[in-house]
Amino acid sequence: MLPETSGPAVKIDNLSKRFGDFVAVDRVSIEVHRGEIFGFLGPNGAGKSTTIRILCGLLAPSSGRATVGGYDVATHPEEVRQNIGYMSQKFSLYDDLSVEENINFFGGVYGVMGERLAARRDYVLKMAGLEDRRTSMTHLLSGGWKQRLALGCAILHEPPILFLDEPTSGVDPIARVSFWDLIYQLSAAGHTVFVTTHYMDEAEYCHRLALMGGGRVIALGSPAELKESLGTGHLLNLESSDLLGSMQALRGRPGIEDVAVFGGGLHVKVDEESAAESEIRSSLNAAGIQIHKLEPIAPSMEDVFVTLMEFQDQKAAS
Amino acid sequence: MNLRRTFAMARKEILHIIRDPRSLIAAFSQPLLMLLIFGYALSLDVDRIPTIVYDLDQTPLSDALIKSFRGSRYFNVVEEAKGYHPIDNAIDTRRALLAVVVPTDYSRNLLEGREAAVQLLVDGSDSNTAAIAQGYAEGLILTFAQQTRENAQSMRTGSVIHIPVEARVRVWYNTDLVSRDFIVPGLIGVIIMIIASLLTSLTVAREWENGTMEQLLSTPVRPVEIAMGKLAAYFLLGLADMGVALAVAIFVFHVPLKGSPALLLVSSCIFIFGALGWGIFISASQRNQLAAYQLGTLTSFLPAFLLSGFIYSIDNMPAVIRAIALFVPARYFIEIIKGVFLKGTGLRILWFNLVLLTAYAALVFYWATSKLKKKVA
Amino acid sequence: MNLQRLRIIIRKEFIQTFREPRMRFMMLLPPLIQLLVFGFAVNLDVDSAKIAWMDEDRSPQSRELLSQFEGSGRFIIAATPASEAQMQDLLDRGRVDGVIRVLPGFARDVERGRDTSVQVLLDGTNSNSASIVSGYAGQTIARYASQVMNQRQRDKLIAGTMASGGAITAQIPRVVAQTRVWFNPDLRSRNYFVPGVIVNIIMLVTLSMTAMAIVREKEIGTMEQLMVTPIRPAELILGKTLPFVLIGFWDMILVFVASLVIFHVPFAGSFGLLCFAALLFILTTLGAGLYISTISKTQQQANMSTFLIFQPFSMLSGFTFPIRNMPQVVQYFTYLNPMRYFLEVVRGVFLKGSGVDVLWPQLVALGVMGVVVLSLAVRKFHKHLE
Repeated sequence: MLPETSGPAVKIDNLSKRFGDFVAVDRVSIEVHRGEIFGFLGPNGAGKSTTIRILCGLLAPSSGRATVGGYDVATHPEEVRQNIGYMSQKFSLYDDLSVEENINFFGGVYGVMGERLAARRDYVLKMAGLEDRRTSMTHLLSGGWKQRLALGCAILHEPPILFLDEPTSGVDPIARVSFWDLIYQLSAAGHTVFVTTHYMDEAEYCHRLALMGGGRVIALGSPAELKESLGTGHLLNLESSDLLGSMQALRGRPGIEDVAVFGGGLHVKVDEESAAESEIRSSLNAAGIQIHKLEPIAPSMEDVFVTLMEFQDQKAAS
Repeated sequence: MNLRRTFAMARKEILHIIRDPRSLIAAFSQPLLMLLIFGYALSLDVDRIPTIVYDLDQTPLSDALIKSFRGSRYFNVVEEAKGYHPIDNAIDTRRALLAVVVPTDYSRNLLEGREAAVQLLVDGSDSNTAAIAQGYAEGLILTFAQQTRENAQSMRTGSVIHIPVEARVRVWYNTDLVSRDFIVPGLIGVIIMIIASLLTSLTVAREWENGTMEQLLSTPVRPVEIAMGKLAAYFLLGLADMGVALAVAIFVFHVPLKGSPALLLVSSCIFIFGALGWGIFISASQRNQLAAYQLGTLTSFLPAFLLSGFIYSIDNMPAVIRAIALFVPARYFIEIIKGVFLKGTGLRILWFNLVLLTAYAALVFYWATSKLKKKVA
Repeated sequence: MNLQRLRIIIRKEFIQTFREPRMRFMMLLPPLIQLLVFGFAVNLDVDSAKIAWMDEDRSPQSRELLSQFEGSGRFIIAATPASEAQMQDLLDRGRVDGVIRVLPGFARDVERGRDTSVQVLLDGTNSNSASIVSGYAGQTIARYASQVMNQRQRDKLIAGTMASGGAITAQIPRVVAQTRVWFNPDLRSRNYFVPGVIVNIIMLVTLSMTAMAIVREKEIGTMEQLMVTPIRPAELILGKTLPFVLIGFWDMILVFVASLVIFHVPFAGSFGLLCFAALLFILTTLGAGLYISTISKTQQQANMSTFLIFQPFSMLSGFTFPIRNMPQVVQYFTYLNPMRYFLEVVRGVFLKGSGVDVLWPQLVALGVMGVVVLSLAVRKFHKHLE
């Protein structure tokens, strides 16, 4: 299937893409290993979709190189396409075709025919849970089902590498979880899955992540590694009677690295837990603020991301 | 070009077509409507011209003149006026197109061997009908004049001098000058052009708007396969349309088919291919449906209708426009179809048109394929 | 009705319309193209017919006939075929509109006072020009015949005079036609078509742009947004349609000026009457546009519906094909076609200088249709919004 039996599934080397003056992708270098679920995280406009489209051969890079499955995307786009499955951000199957007709079409386009097509079709329908609805019109399916169908059509030809661009956007939480079950199954079966998302909780599901911001890779690693990179600091969750007052009272106090609003409370980044705790209590007492809850918590991807982005902004500002 | 992938594309397109009833109905009803309208309603033939006569002379001689107008199939005497005012009124309100005024000295002039003038007033606002009406009226008077001469001569000298020279008119190809026979074959060419642009001008643009084009481009399918697949599907539709139009022309309107049906079929297929290809090219050059639709209408419908020689003869147009008309493919097809229907001409004469149509089809297909780039931006 | 809100909607509509390049395109291009085509290209006049001259007699008499043809200014001798096969070929290829064939023995017959004929072979594939060419050819031959006849009569009279001694003036009665063409003396078909462009343009613009504008709002989803505000349906309708009324008028003025300045179409009537009729006409087209917007979900559907309606109405309006020539049934149908009435007004005002006294039936018809169509459409639109 692939020219090399070893080596990364996707290798991006100093890739850049410019649209006029706007730099959408800025010297990105990433390696994705075979069989891993690689997540591409970041806010809108960070360059995630642009990168994926370059990898699929839909956009030409301005500079740099990328190989997918060992084939250079710029010089061998056709071979690349044979070996990938792509699920675009916007739902892009044919609304006026039935579930089965969509599958048959993409099967034909990928060269999956005859018995193999029948077998794959059954597999995909089962995987997507659409066996009873093979003759339903696609436009009648709800969002979650449509996404499953789109995923199914992308894997008909058993591509070694999958590119999923925000596959769960607009899908309800339960459907999202079961969709990720599918992704895990595929990864376990040996497929490499390259996913973009802006749901932070989904980032936890990936083997490794790249954080994108402003076209650049801000951080790269497994979720655990990224959380650790937050520093040796710890995180405390504070709920009090005066949120904003607490924030003002705690800012700049010794041992307090950072204070940020989170949900109904404050996440306080501290050097050392016990020392910080007493500092917090005394400061707030002095300010006349009542403490409802104060406890250490483990940082989430959101925390990681917000911190890193803030750090990025600070760097840019200075 | 991979046949399997092309076939998958074509099959998908056929499903789209079947599932879009509004367009399908339009694809068949439009041509039928146009055939009916052009075949039955629209005609440039001129007869039964509403005429108003004003006889100031009121003699048997003047009466004879007016009788000749009454007896002609080209004129329909609607009123005998008693003054000038009714004439004004009749022409203003379009009750009459032509007024024949016989002056008081008409018979006197004739009897005394002088020139007697008859006044004709023509409403020129419909210039085409007016020109023809004027021609007929003057012709009628001329004939009447010659007869009068003959009679006068025979009364005078006892001998008759006949009209020495007359025109013997024979009409080739369309003996009864039925304008329908002249319009309907050309109409078929126009219909194909319009339907082709109506149907295909949206097909690629729609996929761009929906996002399915992007999905398609990430697969191994090649641009030439996309173009060919879409074209093949619409070709069947176009052929069906053409078949219906031909059937109506031959069996309902009895337009004579004097030439080779094989030539007709082959040239039709080539023309349909080119017309569809043009639609796909337009569609591929726009990323949204509205623009594609307008561009498609502008470049297919208008030239086909007005610059193809369908009704308006190209020879009479100014040089600049004639130059533009050289690039209207419908024009060459209409020459073929008129030739095959009405003249029975064959390949020997029409081969060049066929070559041009084939070249056009190939060129347009190439353009369409190039426009379907595999890059999103 | 709140005028403030109305003003705001109208303003938004104007901004959107003029900002959108497609709309700007629609404002300028269709009138321009139609003017170009109908003013310059489309021409039913047969100014000069291409004929082939086949003289199998080659005598002074046949040459005299030829000079009549050449001198008439209506013919161009494009070929002189030497054989029947060549003649056939010319006609087959459509190189000539007709063939004039003088048979051998022509001169002899004329000299000997025998009746003879000249063959006129016409290419009937264009029956319209064939009729016209036939008329011209017939006239030219008849003129030649008159000449010959004059000569013969003169000879006869002179012979008779000499026989009876004395001079008699040749008194030969002749009937001639004096033709005066009213309203379009040069019989230019341009004068017939160009004013009609006004009707086409207004119909096209107000009908399709109104439908598109409303449907566009539906497609984008902003219609829903608008419905949540205090805006009344009446205000919405007026706000959305008023700009296109203005654009329609703008286009009409464009065509009007072009007709006068570029095409020199005579204008004999009242501009005010023209505007008034246009206003009445627009009532109907706006109503139709409104109606189409209620039955279309996408702009594409709106466009297709507009096209399907515009086509037959335009063809059966008397614009290029006279209504008089249509079968009775179809003529009845045209009484329901507002384009017909407006066209009659336009042609009347331009070429004939007709006033309200002549055109009042058309104005009434337009008014009635306008009110009926618009109110039905408004009602449907109301229901649709709910």
